[in-house]
Amino acid sequence: MQGPLIDTLARQGVSRRTFLKYCATLASMMALPPAAGLAMAEAMAAARRPSVIWLPFQECTGCTESFTRSHSPTLEGMIFDMISLDYQETLMAAAGHQAEEARHTAMRDNAGKYLLVIDGSIPLDQGGAYSCIGGRSNLDILKEAAEGAAAIIAMGTCAAYGGIPKANPNPTGAVSVSDIVKDKPIVNIPGCPPIPVVMTGVLAHYLTFGSLPELDDKGRPKAFFGETIHDRCYRRPFYDQGKFAKTFDDEGARRGWCLFELGCKGPVTYNACATVKWNGGTSWPVESGHGCLGCSEPDFWDAGGFYKALSLPADPLKFAAAAAVVGTGAGVAIGFANRSKKGGAKSAHETTTLDDLEK
Amino acid sequence: MKLDVIPIHVADQPPGEPGLSGNAPPLLREVAEQVRRLLESGEPSAIDLSALPLTPADLDWLQEKLGAGEIAVTLQASGESTLNETACPGVWWVTHRNEQGVVTSQFIEVAFVPELVKAHPADVAIGLETLELLISDL
Ligand code: SF4
Ligand code: SF4
Repeated sequence: MQGPLIDTLARQGVSRRTFLKYCATLASMMALPPAAGLAMAEAMAAARRPSVIWLPFQECTGCTESFTRSHSPTLEGMIFDMISLDYQETLMAAAGHQAEEARHTAMRDNAGKYLLVIDGSIPLDQGGAYSCIGGRSNLDILKEAAEGAAAIIAMGTCAAYGGIPKANPNPTGAVSVSDIVKDKPIVNIPGCPPIPVVMTGVLAHYLTFGSLPELDDKGRPKAFFGETIHDRCYRRPFYDQGKFAKTFDDEGARRGWCLFELGCKGPVTYNACATVKWNGGTSWPVESGHGCLGCSEPDFWDAGGFYKALSLPADPLKFAAAAAVVGTGAGVAIGFANRSKKGGAKSAHETTTLDDLEK
Repeated sequence: MKLDVIPIHVADQPPGEPGLSGNAPPLLREVAEQVRRLLESGEPSAIDLSALPLTPADLDWLQEKLGAGEIAVTLQASGESTLNETACPGVWWVTHRNEQGVVTSQFIEVAFVPELVKAHPADVAIGLETLELLISDL
C-alpha cells in the first residue's frame, strides 16, 4: 500500500471532497491561511507516505486509545493512512522476534528519513530495568531508534515531560524524550491524553511543507498550544465578572459560572480543548462542569491538587514559572538545523536480564 | 440531553447592540476587496471566520448583511457542509459540520464556483469508466 494517499482513502470510501473538507478544517484549526487547506490536500493526496516507527515506553496506552477510538474513525484514522506505520506494538499483527525484525528493517531501509513517535516516559533507575521490550531497556531502544530518525514526535505528557510516571516520588526515575535525545528535532504533543487532531496536524504540516510546525518554548506546536484554555473558555465572561461556582452543586455551578475556585487550571494551561473539544466536538471538561487539570503542562500531577484553586487569580505566571523550573529538561528550545550531532550513541545493545530486575 | 438546556444567562449585558464586537463591518470591506481581485485577475480567496474574534451576533450580522443568493449547495461528506451563495454573486458562505452536526469551520469564500463544488478531473475519469461499463452492458 505505497500508492498516493488519495487512492488509499478512496478504497476506504473517503471521497476527494471529504478529504478537501477535512483539510480545510485542519488548516483552520492550525491558524493557516484558507488557501493552505487546498495546498495541504493536494500535497497529502499525492505524498509518498513517510515511514513511521511508533514506540510505546512507560505508558498506559491511553494515548493510542485517544487516536484509535476517536469518533469519526475514517477521518481521524487518516493519520494511519498518511503514514506507513512500520512498527506499533499495540496495533501490529506481528509479535516477538518478528516484530523486532520489522522495526530493524524499517530503521535500516529508511535510515535518516523515518519519523519516530514515542508515547510513554523513559525510566532510568536500575539501569532502565523498569520497562523493557524484548529484554532491552527503553533507554537503549530509544537511543538506537533516535539515531536514524528525521524527527521525533513525543506524544502525550509522559513522553513530552515525564507525566504521571515522573510524579513524586518518581519511583522509576522517569524522564522525557527530550531529556535523553538532544540532537534531533522533537515535537511535543502533550496531553493526558493528547488531542488526536494535533497529531494529524503535525503530520499534515510535515507532508505539505516538508518541515515541522513552529513550536513554543516547551516544544509544542504553536498552532494548537498558542493560547491557554482560559483564553478561549466560554465561561470566561463569568470569570471576568467575578462569578464563581463554590461547590459542584451550588447555584453558581448550575448557572455555568467559572470553575476557578474549584481548582480549574485553565489560566495556566496551554491546550486546544476549548476550541477543538473532545469526542467529535461534543463537549470538553469545563463544558461538562469540571475544571481543567492542566494535563498538557509539565508536572501537572504535582501542581498542588486538582481541586485547589490557583493561588493568585491575577498572577497565573507563578504556576507556569514553577513548572518551567522543574521541567527545564523538557523545555529546551528546539533548534533544528544546526544542532551538533551527539557522538557515540551506543549501537551495541546491552540486554537487561532478570538478574538486573532483582538487584 | 442537549447542551442548551444548561441555563447560562449573561447578566449585565454590555451597552450597545447586544453581542456585537465591532469586528464584523471591516470584514465587509475586505470581502469587497477580494471580489474586486476576483473580477480583475480571476483569483479566488477566502476568509476563515473561525480564526477571527467574532461573536455569534457578529456572524448573524454579517450573514444578514450579505443576504441569501440563488444557489445553495449541500455537500454530504462525513457530515453536512453548506456552500451558499450570498446576495452578492461570487461571495459564498461556507459552513462545514461533522457527523455530530457540530460546526467545525466556517469561511466566506470569494470565487466564481467554490473549489469543493467542482468535480476533480481524476474523479470525472472514474465516472467515465463507470459510464463505459454501463454502455458495454447494454
Ligand atoms: S478559570 Fe477555568 S472555567 Fe474559569 S474561565 Fe478560566 S478556563 Fe474557564
Ligand atoms: S481541559 Fe485541561 S486537563 Fe482537561 S484535557 Fe484539556 S488540557 Fe487536559
